[in-house]
Amino acid sequence: MPRINEKVSYWMLVVPALAIMVIFYIVPVLGIWKIAFTEPETGLTNFVAMAGSNAVKTSFVITFRVAAITTIGCLFLGYIVAYAISNYASRLTPLMVALVILPFWVSVLIRSFSWIVLLGRSGIVNDALKGAGLIDAPLRLMHNELGVLIAMIHVMLPFAILPMLTNMRGISGAYVLAARSLGASEWTAFRQVYLPQTMPGVMSGALLVFVLSLGFFVTPALLGGGRVLMISEYITYQIQEFLNWGLGSALSVGLLVATALVLLIAARFVNLRSALLERK
Amino acid sequence: MQDTTDFEAKRDIAEIAVERYKQGRLTRRGFIAAMGALGILPALGTKATAQAKEIIVVNWGGTAKDVLQEVICDTYTAETGIPVIVDGSGPSAGKIRAMVESGAVVWDLCDSGAGSAIILEQQGITQPIDYSIVDKSKVLEGTAYNNGVGNYVYSYVLATNPKLLGGAVPQSWEDVWNVKDFPGMRTFRKSVRGQLESATMARGVPLNEVYEVLGTEDGIKAAIAKFRELRENIIVWGSGSDSQNLFLQEEVAIGNIWSTRAHLLKDQMETGSFNVSFNGGVIAPGIWVVPKGNPAGTEETMKLIAHGQKPELQVKWLEMIGSGPINPEAAALVPAELAPWNPSSPENLATQILYNDEWYAKNQIAAEELYVDALIN
Repeated sequence: MPRINEKVSYWMLVVPALAIMVIFYIVPVLGIWKIAFTEPETGLTNFVAMAGSNAVKTSFVITFRVAAITTIGCLFLGYIVAYAISNYASRLTPLMVALVILPFWVSVLIRSFSWIVLLGRSGIVNDALKGAGLIDAPLRLMHNELGVLIAMIHVMLPFAILPMLTNMRGISGAYVLAARSLGASEWTAFRQVYLPQTMPGVMSGALLVFVLSLGFFVTPALLGGGRVLMISEYITYQIQEFLNWGLGSALSVGLLVATALVLLIAARFVNLRSALLERK
Repeated sequence: MQDTTDFEAKRDIAEIAVERYKQGRLTRRGFIAAMGALGILPALGTKATAQAKEIIVVNWGGTAKDVLQEVICDTYTAETGIPVIVDGSGPSAGKIRAMVESGAVVWDLCDSGAGSAIILEQQGITQPIDYSIVDKSKVLEGTAYNNGVGNYVYSYVLATNPKLLGGAVPQSWEDVWNVKDFPGMRTFRKSVRGQLESATMARGVPLNEVYEVLGTEDGIKAAIAKFRELRENIIVWGSGSDSQNLFLQEEVAIGNIWSTRAHLLKDQMETGSFNVSFNGGVIAPGIWVVPKGNPAGTEETMKLIAHGQKPELQVKWLEMIGSGPINPEAAALVPAELAPWNPSSPENLATQILYNDEWYAKNQIAAEELYVDALIN
């Protein structure tokens, strides 16, 4: 068999995925951009309307706030899980990793509905607390930002754990042992030797969770009670309720640009290449 | 003019069919027939060679399709021998217009809304209603247009759960805004339809002045401010089933919901834990329109509309699906236990206002923006 040129074989491997991205993603996205600038009339009308709207501004603030808190929550909980799995659960590791991945087998919709059953006014949590005599009146656990955050952190957690886990499993235990043998306390060894080595994993987990959260739709729509209106829900609202494709598209362009800006800013502080591609 | 027809409300009535089936109120055959018809709708639409002696009625599918077939169409066939078929594909103004302009009209009678009816009339798409055949006195006042006439009604009503409220039940929208005496969560629609009216009444504006007050910018702002004031106690509903769930799961104690959903809830909730007041309700009609050049001809279609006005048939609608009779005479025939749930009984009519499509055409989009802002900002 003749040897295929290395460059050709490289492109042959890349083309199928690239073609799918271009046909089913890039082209429709460009279509959306076009609508944003041409409906109902050509020009910047939609963007002017967007910039002038208090509701849109608030919705952007809510979106970024929810995404940021979700990210922090996921990193905190996820770090503990990843740390425990990579350092203590040697024999149980496969089981633990399976448990982390398991939620991917259940649709986000069902996971969000489960939270409704748990957090409702007469849900399991409230009933249990009442039964135990801890509260008199049911707590408001959902149909507000708290409910959205609880469910979002749950849904996003695996996306934080997996990159951190990959990263931590590549860290040799010898460094911490060396630090300890040189007289560092357990805390100092963790903080000055272990933690810095895990930062690439933390950063890639953070970026993944944050960016996914920005565009999240199902969970806030179900658990927000209409008052935690994230941009993605506002877009559907514009398009489905008012057939206002122009403004809806302008909002999605806005969200895309805002997300890109976050990545650009992050790139100034974090080495994105190492955060996203090399987790060690 | 902007089309203000509330298509969501219409689709919701379709969804109610599913609920009815689950409760055993519709036969399995009827249900499957309705659902099957939904799937083969395009086939019906291409049936260009419709027989002259056949009338095609179009509504929004689901249970409503089944009920329409059984209550009005089959009885008409029994009386006259003319087959009447219901198509549930949703006669939006756009579809009717496309059909008339392409010259391939296959629909005879369409279940539209006041907003669409007015636009279609202006565009010359629909035929005038022949009021020598259709009786103007047999529809609710304000629902007889030149090119459209009322066919049923539904209302935005004040629903309450007395059990959650400890017996203190709000009787008016003013009470709903009184969080001190009536604590608990409220639910309002995600859109301003039927909602700003409540807020305006809560300000003490009498029924007949509501749209006049809302006609000014200050009036709208004041209504929006009322929502801002109440928002910590608000969960919004997007679809009809959302509103039903919020009551079923006892998430809310009070709400402004559709009377058709209330009709389902009264059977689903325990006695004493669900109540509806039409005090300050907003009543909205469905409107029949007839496309120009319809295959069955003007006269035949008008006769079918007139047939549907019969009070005894109108009452059946209410019993089966919760849509209120458009014919005020029907109220007398409504069984006593259903009368309080009838949007168009004389007692309930006296305390409601008619949904004003003109106001919505002019103000809705601007108001929606302010409404969302008031709820989240």
